Amino acid sequence: MNTFISTLITGTANGAIFALAALGLVIVWRGAGVVNFAQMGQAMFTTYIASNLIASGNSYWLAFIVALISGSLLGMIIDLLIMRPLAHKKSSSATKTLAGTIPVIASLGILAILQALAGIFWAGEERGFPTPVNSFYFKNGDGTLPFSAFNLFVIGVVLIVLLSLTYFFTQTGAGLGMRAAALNPEVARLSGIKVSRMRTLSWAISGAAGSLAGLLITPSTNLSPNTLDLILIIAFTAAVVGGLDSPLGAVIGGLILGIGIALVTTYGSPENVFLAILFVLLAVQLIRPNGILGGKQVRRG
Amino acid sequence: MKNLMVSDLVTDYGHVRALDGVSFIANSGEITTVIGANGAGKSTLLRTISGLEKAKSGTISWGDLLITNLAPEEIVRLGVAHVPEGHAVIPTFSVLENIEMGALFRKRKNSTDVKVAISEVLDLFPRLAERVKQSAGSLSGGERQMLAISRALVSRPELLLLDEPSLGLAPLVVEQIIQSINQLCRSTGLTVLLVEQNANTALAVADHGVLLALGKVVSDQPAAKMRADSALRTAYLGY
Amino acid sequence: MDKYKNIWRKNLIKTLTLGVFLFLLSFTFEPYNQGQLALVLMLFIGVLSLTVLTGASGQISLGQGALMAVGGYSSASLITHLGASIWIGFLVAFFATAIFGLILGTAAARVSGPYLAGTTLVIALALPSVANRFESVLGGDVGLIVDFGTPPTWISNLIEVGYEQWQLWVVLPVALTALFFISNLMATRAGRSWQAVRDDEIGAAVSGIPVARTKVIVFVVSSAIAGLGGALYGLRGLVGPSVYPVSLSLTLLTAAILGGVGSISGAFIGTLIVVFLPDLIDWAISGLAVSEQLSNYLPALLTGFLLLATIIINPAGVMGAGHRKKH
Ligand SMILES: Nc1ncnc2c1ncn2[C@@H]1O[C@H](COP(=O)(O)OP(=O)(O)OP(=O)(O)O)[C@@H](O)[C@H]1O
Ligand SMILES: [Mg+2]
Repeated sequence: MNTFISTLITGTANGAIFALAALGLVIVWRGAGVVNFAQMGQAMFTTYIASNLIASGNSYWLAFIVALISGSLLGMIIDLLIMRPLAHKKSSSATKTLAGTIPVIASLGILAILQALAGIFWAGEERGFPTPVNSFYFKNGDGTLPFSAFNLFVIGVVLIVLLSLTYFFTQTGAGLGMRAAALNPEVARLSGIKVSRMRTLSWAISGAAGSLAGLLITPSTNLSPNTLDLILIIAFTAAVVGGLDSPLGAVIGGLILGIGIALVTTYGSPENVFLAILFVLLAVQLIRPNGILGGKQVRRG
Repeated sequence: MKNLMVSDLVTDYGHVRALDGVSFIANSGEITTVIGANGAGKSTLLRTISGLEKAKSGTISWGDLLITNLAPEEIVRLGVAHVPEGHAVIPTFSVLENIEMGALFRKRKNSTDVKVAISEVLDLFPRLAERVKQSAGSLSGGERQMLAISRALVSRPELLLLDEPSLGLAPLVVEQIIQSINQLCRSTGLTVLLVEQNANTALAVADHGVLLALGKVVSDQPAAKMRADSALRTAYLGY
Repeated sequence: MDKYKNIWRKNLIKTLTLGVFLFLLSFTFEPYNQGQLALVLMLFIGVLSLTVLTGASGQISLGQGALMAVGGYSSASLITHLGASIWIGFLVAFFATAIFGLILGTAAARVSGPYLAGTTLVIALALPSVANRFESVLGGDVGLIVDFGTPPTWISNLIEVGYEQWQLWVVLPVALTALFFISNLMATRAGRSWQAVRDDEIGAAVSGIPVARTKVIVFVVSSAIAGLGGALYGLRGLVGPSVYPVSLSLTLLTAAILGGVGSISGAFIGTLIVVFLPDLIDWAISGLAVSEQLSNYLPALLTGFLLLATIIINPAGVMGAGHRKKH
C-alpha cells in the first residue's frame, strides 16, 4: 500500500514538472505558432549554468534565479534572432509546402547547437544536480512516510507558478494582449497590441517555465547534454493529450503522464515507459485528435 | 481640423491590383462613405489606410502626418481606428475583454479615461452592457458588430474606418447601428469613413460619397447629389 | 505515355553514368574512403526516403532512423537466425518496412506538421524498448552482429577485393536501384498526384485524387526505401539500438534540408556534406591545439549552424534555386 501511495506521490510530483514543460510548449505554440523542440535543450543549458554557479560556491537559490532569468532571456534571443526573421520571410513556392515545419526544423537546429555548446563548455559526462530540500522520505518514528520534502517542494512550486500564470493571463493587460495576439493577430494589431512583442514575451515565459522544469527534474535524471530529451518527449505527449492549444489541458496531460509513467515503472518495467508514451500519443491522435480538452476548431499546422 | 487625404494610392495582392491610383479627401467631422460593387477594392482601401496592407505607391496623410505604410499598431495610436469586415471580435473572449482589448495600449497612462470610455460605449450600446460577462461568441450578429465598433471606439479615435457594418444584419439592426454612428459623429466631431455595399443606407447619413469600381474612383461628390444620380447607380451598382 | 518513357530513359542513363563513375572512382580510393563512400550511399538511401516524404507530402519525419532500424532488424534477424543471404535480406527489409509503413501511414495520414514531427520522434525513441521486448529474436541491448560477408569466389578469383571495396560494391547497385526507382516515381503521374495533394489538398480531392490513400502510399514508399537503407546500414557490423539512435534520424533530416527539400540531387549533396564534414573539420583543426571536448562536438555544432543557416537564408536548400525555376 505504501508503495502504491509513494508511486502516486512521486508520479504527481514528476507530473507537475511535466505539466510545467508541457505548458511551456503550449504557450509558444499558441503565442507564436511554433512547437519548440529546443525547449528542453534550453532548459538543459540553463541548468548547466545553475550547476556551475553552485559548483563554484554560490547558493542554490542564486543559481535558481539566474537559471530562470537566463531561461527567459534565451527564449527571447531565439525569437528575436531566429523565429521572428523566419516568420517575416516571404514564402516562395518551394517553401510554402514546408511553412508549418520550417520553425520545427529551426528548433531542431537550435537544439543541436545548444547540445553541442553544452558539450564543448561543460564536457559530455553526466553530473548530478542538487535539491534545495531533503529528497529522502520523511521519517515517522520507526517507519517512513511515502514522500519526501522535495516532492512537496516540487508540487508547491509548480502550483504557485500555475496560479501566477493563470492570474497573469486572465487578469492582467499584458496577459489579455498575449491571448488576443495569439487568437487573432489582425484584430490585436488594430487594437494597438504589438503582436511581435507579445510573441517574444511568450518565448520568454515559456523559456522560464522550461528552465524551471529543468531545475526540478535534473535531481532525478542527472544532467548531460541529452538527458532532457526524454522530458521534451513526455511534455510534447502531455501537450498533445491536452490538445496543444489548451494550457489547462497541458497541466492535466502532464499529471496523467507523470502518474502513468510512475505506475508503469513500479508495476511494469521501466523499459516499457517509451512504449507507453508512444501508445498514449498514438491513441490520443487517433481517437481525439484535438486532445481531451481541445475544442472543435481546426488544428493549425 | 484633421482631414484624411489619400493620393494616388496603389495596392497589390501579388499580381492582383486591388487599388489603382485612388485619391480622395475625407473631411474632418464628416461621414464619408465609400461605395462600390463586390471586389471594387473598398476593404483594401480601409486596410491600406489602417496599415494592414502595404501600399505600393501613393500617400495617405492624416492631418499633417504622413501615415503611409506605418504599422497598424502605430496608426491606431495616432487616432485612426479600423473595424474590419465581418464582425471582427474574439469569440472566446468575454464582451468586456473584447472592449478592454481596444484600450490596452492607453491603459497604463490613461487608466481613468479608459474607464470612462468603456462606460461611454456601454451607454451607446445598452445591449452590450447587459452582456459584459457573456462570451462574444454567444452574441447575435448585430451585437457582435456593436462589440467590434465598441472595441474601436474605446481607443478614442478621431477617425473611424468602418467596413460594411451592415453585413448580414437585419435592416432594423443596420438602421440602429448607422444611427449610433451618425449620432456619435455629430456630437463628438468624429470623422467617419464608412464602407458600404448598401448605397442607399450609407448615402442617407453621409455627407460625401466616393464611388469605387475596379480599384479606381469613378465618382466623388456630395452624398445627396450622388444619391440623386440614378444613371451612376445603374452603371456601377446595378440598381 | 511517350513523355514518361523519355523520362524513364533519361533517368536510366543518368543513374548508370553515376554508377560507372562511382565504381571507377572507388579504385582510386584508400579503403577508408571507400568505406566512407559506401556510408554516403547507405545514408543517401535513407535521405532519399525523406526526400520522397517531404517532396511529395510537405511533411517531415524525425523517425526515419526508426524505419531504417525496422529494415535493419528484419534483414539481420533473417540472416542470423535463418542463414539467409544478404540479398534476400534486402528484399525482405524492403517489404517488411513497407508493411510497417502502411500501419504507420494509416495512423500518420491523420497527423501533420509538428504533430507528425513529434510523433515520429517518439517512435524513434521508443525503438530500443521494442528490441528489448523481443530479446531472443532481436538481440536486446546488444543487437545482432552481421556484416557484408566476403565476395563470392568468382569475383575474388578474378580480382582482389578489400572489405571496404566489397561493401561499396554491394551498396552501389542497391543505391542506384533506389535512386532510379525514386527519380522515375517523382516524375510520373503518381508523383505528380502526390505533389498535387501536397500543394492543395482540397483542390486535389476535387479533381478526383483520393487524398487519404495517396498520403498513405507516400508513407509506404518512403518507409520501404528507408528500410532498404537501414538493412545496408546495419551490415556495417551491428544491428542494435545504438546503431539507429535518434541522432541518425536528425542526420538524415539535416542532409535532406541542406541539399534542398524534395530535390534528389540535393539529397546526394546533403549526404556528402553530413558524412564528410567531420573529416573536413578534423583536417582543418589538425594543426591547431584544440581540446578534445571541442573537436568532439565541433561537427555537431557546425551541422546545427548549417541547418539553421539553410532554413533562415534559403529554406529551399542548396539545390533550391534551380529547383524553384523549374516551376
Ligand atoms: N488577400 C487577398 N489576396 C488576393 N487578392 C485579394 C485579397 N483580398 C482581396 N483581393 C482582391 O482584391 C480585389 C479587391 O478586394 P476587396 O476585398 O478590397 O473588395 P471589396 O470592395 O471590399 O469587396 P466586397 O464588397 O465583396 O467586400 C478583389 O479583386 C479581390 O479578389
Ligand atoms: Mg470588402
